[in-house]
Amino acid sequence: MIINFLFYFFSFILLLSSLMVIVVQNAVHSVLFLVLSFISSASLLFLLECEFVALLFIMIYVGAIAVLFLFVVMMLDIKTLNNKKDILKYFPFGSFIGIIFLTEILLVVTDTFKTNPYINSSLFNYYTNWLDKIDSLTELESIGQLLYTHYVLQFLIAGNILLLSVIGAVSLTINTNHTTKKQIIFKQLSRTYKNVLIV
Amino acid sequence: MTTEILLFKNINILPELFLGISLVYFVLYGTFLSMKKNFPLIINSCVFLGILILLMTSFLLVNDSLDVLECTILSNTINNDFLSLTSKLIISISSSFCLLMMYTHLNYQKINQFEYILLFLFSILGLFLLCSSNDLLTSYLAIELQSLSFYVLASFKKNSTFSIDAGIKYFILGAFASSLFLFGSSLIYGVTGTINFSDFKDLFFWIFPGSILGFSNLEQYYENQDQDILLLALLEKFEHSQDKLLSQYDGNILRYEIENTKLYENSVYNTEKLWIYPWITNSILDSIHDILEMKSNKLTLTVKELDYLHYWLHFVDITDNMLVEKIFNSYYLHTPENPSDFCDNGAFDEKNKTELSKWFFGSFSLLIATCVKSSDFQELYVLNSSFDTNLLQIGLTFILISLFFKLAIAPFHIWSPDVYEGSPTSSTFFFAIVPKLGLFVLLIRIFYSSFYGLIDNWRYLCVTVAIISIIVGSFGGLEQRKLKTLLAYSSISHMGYSLIAFNSGTFEGIQMLLSYLMVYVFSGLCIWSIFIIARLKNNHSLKHNKDLTDIVLLNKTNKMLALVFTISLFSVAGFPPMIGFLVKVGIFLTAIESSMYFLALISILCSVIATFYYIRIIKIMYFEKVIVGKLYYPISSNKGTVISFLFISLIFLFINPTLIILITHKLSLLLLN
Repeated sequence: MIINFLFYFFSFILLLSSLMVIVVQNAVHSVLFLVLSFISSASLLFLLECEFVALLFIMIYVGAIAVLFLFVVMMLDIKTLNNKKDILKYFPFGSFIGIIFLTEILLVVTDTFKTNPYINSSLFNYYTNWLDKIDSLTELESIGQLLYTHYVLQFLIAGNILLLSVIGAVSLTINTNHTTKKQIIFKQLSRTYKNVLIV
Repeated sequence: MTTEILLFKNINILPELFLGISLVYFVLYGTFLSMKKNFPLIINSCVFLGILILLMTSFLLVNDSLDVLECTILSNTINNDFLSLTSKLIISISSSFCLLMMYTHLNYQKINQFEYILLFLFSILGLFLLCSSNDLLTSYLAIELQSLSFYVLASFKKNSTFSIDAGIKYFILGAFASSLFLFGSSLIYGVTGTINFSDFKDLFFWIFPGSILGFSNLEQYYENQDQDILLLALLEKFEHSQDKLLSQYDGNILRYEIENTKLYENSVYNTEKLWIYPWITNSILDSIHDILEMKSNKLTLTVKELDYLHYWLHFVDITDNMLVEKIFNSYYLHTPENPSDFCDNGAFDEKNKTELSKWFFGSFSLLIATCVKSSDFQELYVLNSSFDTNLLQIGLTFILISLFFKLAIAPFHIWSPDVYEGSPTSSTFFFAIVPKLGLFVLLIRIFYSSFYGLIDNWRYLCVTVAIISIIVGSFGGLEQRKLKTLLAYSSISHMGYSLIAFNSGTFEGIQMLLSYLMVYVFSGLCIWSIFIIARLKNNHSLKHNKDLTDIVLLNKTNKMLALVFTISLFSVAGFPPMIGFLVKVGIFLTAIESSMYFLALISILCSVIATFYYIRIIKIMYFEKVIVGKLYYPISSNKGTVISFLFISLIFLFINPTLIILITHKLSLLLLN
């Protein structure tokens, strides 16, 4: 009951925020709505008991990619244009295309999920051992157990790749000799259109 | 699930572990030394430290106890067979040659960061893991480790626009290729549910020997064969399998053979032959009872099976199996017109003969289905008939394309001349020679060890790409004025030649592929090391010889070096008194043996065309009349020793090619066990 309620709640937020990503004029607000949509989809995954994927979502999409977007948007200093007048102009055609896509998707979904896709295979009627389910590990625990035993070498290689990327990034950006020309970021950012001398 | 942790008794990845741990110490060493105020010339000690690490690793490799039978460790993710051992040895020795050759060049290029050597060692670690990886995940991680360090190596000269450009190009295209690899492996995982190469081998070589395509070929084959011979062969096979329980694989094969012979459909006189073998009737009489009992519990019979069983029921004593017949009648309502007639009077008219033979093969295949261990006839049927390999082929194509990107095979080669030209020469030296061997080992592992059953599908792509690569490599090199770009095109055409050997699909193909790659590494080392150590006497110390005309006076300044350069170029072009000739001939022979005549013709013609640009270098070196030219510095004695060693090996291997042929023979024998 409460899980159902939470599911509808988060999916409503997800739909709303992903709509707002497109609709909102300000780019910074749009990125913030993107973060909200990521967080709500992560909580949907939590409800489905996929903790690991949900945590990955939050860490990678919110922690890295969305913040990167935010930085870029803030640095680019995009002007907000007021194009609300155009919405009425584009609305009929846009909604027409949208309805077409919606019907296509609905047709495919109703067609595909009508029957059990496993019904023809030998895995049909594969019974669930409920005894295993009682004593089960959580996803994080099982992934950790596999990672440190079964895939220990792959884990070590991944660590090596991280070390390599740190070393590579440092060696590409470190400034040992001062003869090279470098970017002065403050100067670059403080340039505006009015200050530029146009001949 | 049994988890297998690092056991020291069968730890076959000791060389990799040693290399990885010494990398960490290398970081510490370099960091503490370069923190000093007075900026020491750290690169010399780092180069020699790197060579030391590599030689100690190759010592560990040589001392490695080679297990021939159980060579997979770490829960089947690492395969340390003879192929990986040899290729690792070649990689480590050739890269230590590379390091030895490049260190004065690094001094003149004013590259004084210890990270340069560290990145080299990282990429060599990646190549080691690539050679011995036995699943898609490990190989992906190894490719990433290797190519990430290559991206940084390509853009290491930060004050050069070309170098940065090359690095970014390499990075974007390499990341694209890696994503293709990941996509392909995810498709394969989705289809098969495993990422392990030995599991693929079990799945596609043993249990499902061939795709749908293969089975349709099999059907055609059976239609064209003489039915009597097939029948006798099947009987022989069946007689042998009477003693023991058939394995699942054998049962599948036998079943398919019986179905595809169509003996019980179109031949009439086979029943008389069958009566010759009385043991068949006896064994069927014995075991059919068991079949019926077993089957009656499950009630999951197809109509065909019921057909067979029903025919059978009129032959055995029905009073025994009253119950069984009741069950079958309830599920199979069709009642045929009293077939026991032709049993009684013994007169076989034409129609009855067909019926009888039909019955016989029906019970035959049922019997086989029971001999099979899993013995679930229907499940086997479902698995065999509904297995669709289309998605698998798409995944394999993606993996193939990504590896072609990494190998710079045309039409995926566009990045390679730019990257080779732009990145520092010492890095290009390494890119052009060493990683090709590791990537081809991965290709062999994926496409020969695991997906050999699908060879008909991936072969077309390989053949097309090989032709395009040879043509592009031969014609593209004609216009080049820069030596590095020319060598890049030469490497493209060489990868095309090795791809010919790769897609022949035969034992000799692998043998010639490996020997070609070995010779490619040798002669490439020779050419590139001469290119890198020949240093011009001019005012700009940073300028390196890049144009073809820069080597005009090499003959005048250093006669021996010019001679070695000439000989190694001839070897690469494929002239007779050098080993390059023998391996090229071997490749053309494998192409002809596997009936790829057109491919062989085109590649021979293109090989002749490609000879033009090798000879042009020699012509510039010896016969060009110039008014002004540049002289070269003399080279040091240890480099001279290494180069003369490589040079002598090029000629010696032609006189006595047994060494390389024997090694590759053993490699391919142990690979295809």
